[in-house]
Amino acid sequence: MNALRDPRHAKAFRFVRCAYADGVAELAYAFDDGPELVERISFPGVPALPAERRAAFNAALRLLHLVAGVSYYKAGIPGRIEVETGALDADAADLMDTLYRDGLAEFAYRNKLDLGARIAFPRAAARAGAATALCAPQPGLAPRTLVPIGGGKDSLVVVEALKRAGVQATATWIGASPLIAAVAARTGLPMLNIGRELSPILFEYNRMGAWNGHIPVTAINSAILACAAILYGCDAIAFANERSASAATLEYAGRQVNHQWSKGWAFEQAFAACLRAQVAADLDYFSLLRPYSELAVTRAFAESGVAYFDVFSSCNRNFRILGPKPFDRWCGQCPKCHFVFLALAPFMPKPRLLAIFGRNLLDDEMLAPGFDALVEYHDHKPFECVGEASEARAALATLAVRPEWREDALVARFREEIMPQLDAASLPMEAWLAPAGEHGVPERFRGALDAICGA
Amino acid sequence: MHNRYDAPIAFSPSTRNTCGLIPRPLRATCQAGSVNANASLPLAFDAPWIVLKFGGTSVATLERWRTILDLAADRRAQGARVLVVVSALAGVTDALKALCECAEAGRDGAVAEIMERHRRLAAQMGLARVEAMERWLASLQDLVRDAQPGQLAWQALVQAHGELLSSALGAAFMTANGLPTRWLDSREALLAREVPFLNERARVLSAQVQAEPDPAFTAGLARQGEVFIVPGFMARDNAGKTVLLGRGGTDTSAAYFGALLRAARVEIWTDVAGMFTADPRQVPGARLLQRLDYDEAQEIATTGAKVLHARCLSPCRRARVPLWVKDTQYPGLDGTVVAPQPAEAAPSVKAISSRRGITLVSMETSGMWQQVGFLADVFALFKQHGLSVDLIGSAETNVTVSLDPSENLLDSDVVAALAADLAKVCRVKVIAPCAAVTLVGRGMRSMLYRLSGVLAEFGRERVHLISQSSNNLNLTFVVDEGMLDGMLPRLHELLVRAGAMRTDDTSLFGPSWQSLYGTGAVRTRAPWWQAERARLLELAQSTPRYAYHLPTVRERAVALLGLRSIDRVYYAIKANPNPAIMRVIAQAGIGFECVSPGELDAARAIVEAHGTSLLFTPNFAPQGDYAYGLAQGAMVTLDNLHPLQHWPALFHDRDIALRVDLGRGLGHHDKVKTGGAGSKFGLPLDQLDGFLELARESHVRVVALHAHLGSGILDAAHWAQVCGQLASVAERISGVRSLNLGGGLGVPSHPGEAALDLAALDASLAEVKRAYPQYELWLEPGRWLAADAGVLLARVTQTKRKGALNYLGCDAGMHALIRPALYDAWHEIVNLSRIEVPADTLYQIVGPICESGDVLGNDRRLPASAEGDVLLIAQTGAYGEAMASHYNLRPLADSVAIE
Repeated sequence: MNALRDPRHAKAFRFVRCAYADGVAELAYAFDDGPELVERISFPGVPALPAERRAAFNAALRLLHLVAGVSYYKAGIPGRIEVETGALDADAADLMDTLYRDGLAEFAYRNKLDLGARIAFPRAAARAGAATALCAPQPGLAPRTLVPIGGGKDSLVVVEALKRAGVQATATWIGASPLIAAVAARTGLPMLNIGRELSPILFEYNRMGAWNGHIPVTAINSAILACAAILYGCDAIAFANERSASAATLEYAGRQVNHQWSKGWAFEQAFAACLRAQVAADLDYFSLLRPYSELAVTRAFAESGVAYFDVFSSCNRNFRILGPKPFDRWCGQCPKCHFVFLALAPFMPKPRLLAIFGRNLLDDEMLAPGFDALVEYHDHKPFECVGEASEARAALATLAVRPEWREDALVARFREEIMPQLDAASLPMEAWLAPAGEHGVPERFRGALDAICGA
Repeated sequence: MHNRYDAPIAFSPSTRNTCGLIPRPLRATCQAGSVNANASLPLAFDAPWIVLKFGGTSVATLERWRTILDLAADRRAQGARVLVVVSALAGVTDALKALCECAEAGRDGAVAEIMERHRRLAAQMGLARVEAMERWLASLQDLVRDAQPGQLAWQALVQAHGELLSSALGAAFMTANGLPTRWLDSREALLAREVPFLNERARVLSAQVQAEPDPAFTAGLARQGEVFIVPGFMARDNAGKTVLLGRGGTDTSAAYFGALLRAARVEIWTDVAGMFTADPRQVPGARLLQRLDYDEAQEIATTGAKVLHARCLSPCRRARVPLWVKDTQYPGLDGTVVAPQPAEAAPSVKAISSRRGITLVSMETSGMWQQVGFLADVFALFKQHGLSVDLIGSAETNVTVSLDPSENLLDSDVVAALAADLAKVCRVKVIAPCAAVTLVGRGMRSMLYRLSGVLAEFGRERVHLISQSSNNLNLTFVVDEGMLDGMLPRLHELLVRAGAMRTDDTSLFGPSWQSLYGTGAVRTRAPWWQAERARLLELAQSTPRYAYHLPTVRERAVALLGLRSIDRVYYAIKANPNPAIMRVIAQAGIGFECVSPGELDAARAIVEAHGTSLLFTPNFAPQGDYAYGLAQGAMVTLDNLHPLQHWPALFHDRDIALRVDLGRGLGHHDKVKTGGAGSKFGLPLDQLDGFLELARESHVRVVALHAHLGSGILDAAHWAQVCGQLASVAERISGVRSLNLGGGLGVPSHPGEAALDLAALDASLAEVKRAYPQYELWLEPGRWLAADAGVLLARVTQTKRKGALNYLGCDAGMHALIRPALYDAWHEIVNLSRIEVPADTLYQIVGPICESGDVLGNDRRLPASAEGDVLLIAQTGAYGEAMASHYNLRPLADSVAIE
């Protein structure tokens, strides 16, 4: 038995092996010659994998192995990365370099680490002129879309848009969460709950003081869903990441730090291309919300999400625990609570919003620092998946002229103290409600895309 | 069409008694033995009437119909004419409602199901074809065939069939079983009155009837028979069409008939014994209200209680007909009697209730209120937007009103529109979500002085509006809705303690809901001291003296260690550092939590003998204390930046625990709340990053995270909430292994109060643990382990009569036990010398200390007691001896531990 050693002293991080049998994928990693860290992903009620999709699945599994390694790598961030399952081609190695570097940027910032030089995935010797070719389409993928559900409003906007457009969809979530299960049940869609079990040794390492912090979890979820799509025979994965997810939170050591990096457009494009090239040319991976702002998505939720008002939660503090009362689902203290409250306020009757949260966050003076951070007044953008500061300002500016809101403590404060310092031209709400910018939504999902804006 | 009710033929005698039964002569002998033989004696013409009402579940099975038959026969045997009012079979009204709304395709199936259900029940009741019921089934089929779904009149008629069917079935059953029962169409007796401004929907589906005593009708009915059954829920309008009486309509029917017949009483038979002092789902210790006057009952029904619909009270009040609520499952239980005000009753708060989802509109302006018509203009705006105002509070420059919850408020822009209009004349603020907490009781104003402790519960929190109507019946507080969680049980307890809710008056207050319907969590076992009386009397040779029962401590320790979700338990020895108790606890495998060098010293010998692990959690302690704790090998808990800012070397390269403040406090008294900004404990979360930065700089590892929000908490879900919040904080901190959930496990003191449900606590923590498997969970109870094991023995010193009060003095005062004075704690007090004598004297039990607050218990019933008697003060094993003092230079109480 290898004794546990602090991974921060390790020389190398090793991708040891990955395997799949009977609905369970095993992903094994190690620091130096330390014990294997084995993560297990279990796919329930999985049908037998047809022989013609085996190659595609193996490619997806290998991708998952590489992506999911980020949870373990970050415990020690050793200077060397060893992939014992075969060298990566240049594109895959580039994707992984980027994922580990940019996806861990917030982790690096928080821990005051410089990852830039450390991360270099080994790559096969480049074959001159070998352009990345699309792999063949995979037979047998049915027109069914996996929709990852997080318990928050965004994925529910996707669900409702897909429903309205008549798309066959499956509500999918990863890990045990009574709250997400309750939300998923509300969708009325078929459900798929994928199990994910981290290696317990990682917790041991954490107790030893291993590096810890934010990881690009959406990338891991994306790779798990790619495996699921091939296993269950689905031809699309529709995420719910907005335009604003691409905005950097701050800059550190000359690098952009974006809390939501793996929810951003850059990652979406790279990962979609990687799937097309290495897994299945006809597997669509995209975010249906990409061209929309947080505000536009929130408005869509206010209109189409009525069925979820008493179960959904975007709060990061409480979201794993299910409770019947608003206070069980919304901590009221975190930036997510603040932003979702603020963004919904212009789009629904005030009593309704207050019933969802169980209190009025905008009438609580103690929360002024939190809302200041949202509008980037006195502070930078908080490290959470929240909208851009200008969206928060537009929402507050809208409330500032609403008679039912204008006297609430933080709205009045914004109106009297902050608004005069802002450029009035930047405040109108309308600009935020129209789709804009690039997206990767396939033409066949046009109907669903348009359904979001109310069209 | 011919057999619809609204066709003229419906009123003809030929269809009125369509039960297919030939009414027996009144002298007919009974058949089955199920009915009392007295039923055969004819009743006097002016015999009193009793109205019995049965709801949906009470008419849904054969067994329940037997109960109805027995009750009706019993009342008849008592010499009363009986009128039974029934609801539709449980679920049938909903099915009929759905049928009115569903698409045509679904209707036939729905009718078929209803037919099948009634025929099946008839067969179970041993009835062959019940002609009357078949006729109503046929008329229902006709109605559905010629459906007019949009028509309210059609809907009313369809829905009325539920009661028509059940009453027809009941008439057949009761008659067949020896109690000749005539069916009467209630639409013939009840005429809806015209109410101005009522919309068509309300007119047809929740009509009102002006029911006044009608001697002619009563006499006419008396000539027809002795036992009657009528369908509830319906009346006729001026045009002879069927209208419904709305929600709770069968109760209302019963009340109307009670008034019409000027009945001796109306008995509402249901699934609970009556009205309670609070909603039992929130307050399991709520007590049955055995006697209410009409106004009180009306207030309680309006402000929350669901058992009686508020509308059924006024007909009874006008005719002065008593209304009884009775539980079908416990027919022997008194239930609630609503009757004219008893003359001699002392004022008491009768009930506390709450309503959520209230929106306040606060309107601010200077000087406008005195302007003639200004308020009228403002209220006109509410009317214009279709909003009905409930409570009103006003000051010179502000008027605040409340709006009850409605779908309209939640789904439409009505609040925004109203605010826009109001904003033209005043500054408007919309405050929500609020909750109204209402105390109900006749003579509320005369009780205000008793409510100070109750009002303190609202404490620093936000009370937006207080309303007290001039009818002196209620007092309403509008507060933030978020405050309401867990508040009602506390307020209920405070009302009892303050003597504002006189639950000691057993003619008004019955048993607790928990003891009637609870699931065994009530303290059912006799306390240990009852079996140890002789030994305790022996020990009471010297008083005041604490006696500790070690088997009880052991039992508690085992129970805690049986919690599967908890990895470690620490005993907070401040509760009671008695060495014998500490040894028992250490032997069981529980660690110690200490808060001072003195406690560390007290623990040392036991720690050395048993290898007990130590937590050291001082608060605002001097630097030396921390050094001492570290030297003793204890895990030290910090809860402030100061130690790491000023004494970093002390903690260099150490593992420590961090106590955080999750921002809210819970507990049974202000002084035992240990969370929230008003408390000195815990690091506020906004300083967490700063703390971790300091820890990193000083090479200090935070390995455990701790929160403790208060004491005396009986809600099992509390610790899971703390755990979930701690875990989400801990996730951000590398190196945290354990979450210390604190203690605060409540020990119930009042009779009827439910004990903390340990299994539920375990289960709720297990759920959190599934989400965060990486953390060990710790608990650090104090009182929970020790309280029940201890009693304080005292001797009566003197008695005194002063005014209306009896004082009973004893040698144990606040120097021996300060909890009653400090926390308003309630401890059971018994006279151990006279335990077999009935407790018939009301005492104020006081100690010998020169302080007016030296009171151990107010208004306690004890046997008449004399100097030298031994008093036992129960549940004093925690924070009793530990907090005892030499005050007044009286010697400390001593203690003895017994096996």
